[in-house]
Amino acid sequence: MSNFIQLVKNEQMKMYAQISTWVMLIILAVLVIGFGIILKVDGGMTQQEAPAGNEWREALQAENEQIESEMEEGSGFAPMNEETLAKNQYRLDNDIAPSGYNVWNFVQENRTNVSIISLLTIIVAASIIANEFKWGTIKLLLIRPISRSKILAAKYTSVLVYAATMLLLLYVLSILTGAALFGTNNFNEPFLFMKDGEVQEAPIFQHTASQYLLSSVNLFMMATFAFMISAVFRNSALAIGVAIFLMLSGNSIVAFFMDKEWAKYILFANTNLNQFFTGTPMIPDLTLGFSVSVLAVYLILFLGLSWLFFTKRDVTNS
Amino acid sequence: MSKAVMQLKNLKKTIKNKPIIKGLDFEINSGEVFGFLGPNGAGKTTTIRMMVGLMSMTDGDVIIKGHSVKNDYKKAVQHVGGIVENPEMYPFMSGRKNLIHYSRMVPGVTKERIEEVIKLVGLEKRVNDKVSKYSLGMRQRLGIAQALLHKPSILILDEPTNGLDPSGIREIRAYIRRLAAEEGVAVIVSSHILSEMEMMCDRIGIIKNGELISIQSVNDALQQSEKKEVSLEAEPMAEAQTILNEVIEGDVQQNKDALTFTVTREEIPGIIARLVSREIDVYSVTVTRSTLEDKFLDLIGEGAIE
Ligand SMILES: Nc1ncnc2c1ncn2[C@@H]1O[C@H](COP(=O)(O)OP(=O)(O)O)[C@@H](O)[C@H]1O
Ligand SMILES: [Mg+2]
Repeated sequence: MSNFIQLVKNEQMKMYAQISTWVMLIILAVLVIGFGIILKVDGGMTQQEAPAGNEWREALQAENEQIESEMEEGSGFAPMNEETLAKNQYRLDNDIAPSGYNVWNFVQENRTNVSIISLLTIIVAASIIANEFKWGTIKLLLIRPISRSKILAAKYTSVLVYAATMLLLLYVLSILTGAALFGTNNFNEPFLFMKDGEVQEAPIFQHTASQYLLSSVNLFMMATFAFMISAVFRNSALAIGVAIFLMLSGNSIVAFFMDKEWAKYILFANTNLNQFFTGTPMIPDLTLGFSVSVLAVYLILFLGLSWLFFTKRDVTNS
Repeated sequence: MSKAVMQLKNLKKTIKNKPIIKGLDFEINSGEVFGFLGPNGAGKTTTIRMMVGLMSMTDGDVIIKGHSVKNDYKKAVQHVGGIVENPEMYPFMSGRKNLIHYSRMVPGVTKERIEEVIKLVGLEKRVNDKVSKYSLGMRQRLGIAQALLHKPSILILDEPTNGLDPSGIREIRAYIRRLAAEEGVAVIVSSHILSEMEMMCDRIGIIKNGELISIQSVNDALQQSEKKEVSLEAEPMAEAQTILNEVIEGDVQQNKDALTFTVTREEIPGIIARLVSREIDVYSVTVTRSTLEDKFLDLIGEGAIE
């Protein structure tokens, strides 16, 4: 075990000795901070102040009345209106004032940057094996009294550590940037959501963190896929290309085969676990349990192939 | 002394139905420098890759200190340090970081040991520079350093003098001899250049087309070839050549300002006495030890070097 940690340390050392890794970190930081500054300068939605004192009560009541009259006329989007109505009522009943645009809105918006992290993690996952072959260092790496399986596991772990580092960086940096630019008023506001027709409360921290994690499922699967291609073909460009292509076209693939019986077994039909918590699944008969099982099967397949090729194939120059 | 630390047993490798290694059987003893000699494409690197587990064996096995590389890889390979083909290191890290990297992969390599090997290969001054700034010679030294970190009993160096200048080659040769003599390490060196091998090896195995065609100790081989090549500077040259032709069976060749011919060692004094008595001025006599070269070429055939 201790020597497994040493191997992971080695992989991390090699990763951070390369300039490209730092460039990736900087890209992410620039995106978050830049996005914040643009929002701040542009004003718009972020400028609207939360109503002071008890004015918010009147505002919410007015909004609710308007929605109710709209619903009677039959216009507007019913489910959404009902949700707003219920949430507003909950606020009024429980004395929870709505906040203006604050740090948590910014954190939630930055969730889109998880897809940037996916891209960067794919690059890292695709390179971590292929580069050893490209550099020729694979030979010196493998002539040690350590099984190839263990070296492979250390490399995979290292990719996951990288992804986790980037996600944490995104999350923490979003909070810091958001706090600096949009203030920390209502920092402890609860997050309201609908479950089984009832309004529920959850700590906002817990909500945003779990949203980030759910969004990382796709990242995790595509990084593992890139890792597998890299282990099988020992070519990082190929692995990056195929993985990014699939990531970008994933939803179109599902849409294209939507009416097929087997569409629900497509990886990308199952990577969006968010759909089970908020909104409706793309394919009606999907359930959380089913999706998690499908993901597990794909994961085992990807890792199994990586292992098979990495441990069994000869190391030659070609 | 002559205990075998590595044994090759009917080692074979077939790639895509093409036999590359056709059954190698030999042993390496502790403390000896074993030369693995053969023309390009003979199968040296392939054999070495199998010795260290980079390639699977089609048949046979390699036994290192009693452990089979095939069945007990970790135990077998823990006694081995090596470089396979070029000494490729991580170019974006310093020499020291590269060594730290490899030191983490074997138990028991201390910080002191890292410093020790850096000194041993003479890289103290440049060890904190990035490897991308190293010359080939320095990379070769760093390669040897990483191979020695865990004090292996067997050091395998694939063409360690490839691409080095003469002084680099001399240095590598000195390390290798010292390692064998002082640390009792068995060293396997591969090369396609015979003259290099002669100077650093105790025994030489010659491989051609995946087969071992000769294996013998360097001293034996040298004694076997009794005839010496002699080159002689004398004036007047034409007359000297005539006299030599009288006493020598073989050809006397004139190249530049010297005459060369092949005789046994015992014949040399008589020849010189004869020249002097016929009033020839002899300026120099050089006996070039007859190298294994002829033998090597005989064995592998002139056409074997593709
Ligand atoms: N991966 C491979 N696939 C096919 N042929 C190979 C492969 N590796 C080596 N060979 C062939 O095996 C022979 C021996 O190669 P090698 O061991 O590199 O020779 P050496 O190191 O003695 O120069 C060569 O003819 C080479 O073409
Ligand atoms: Mg070779």
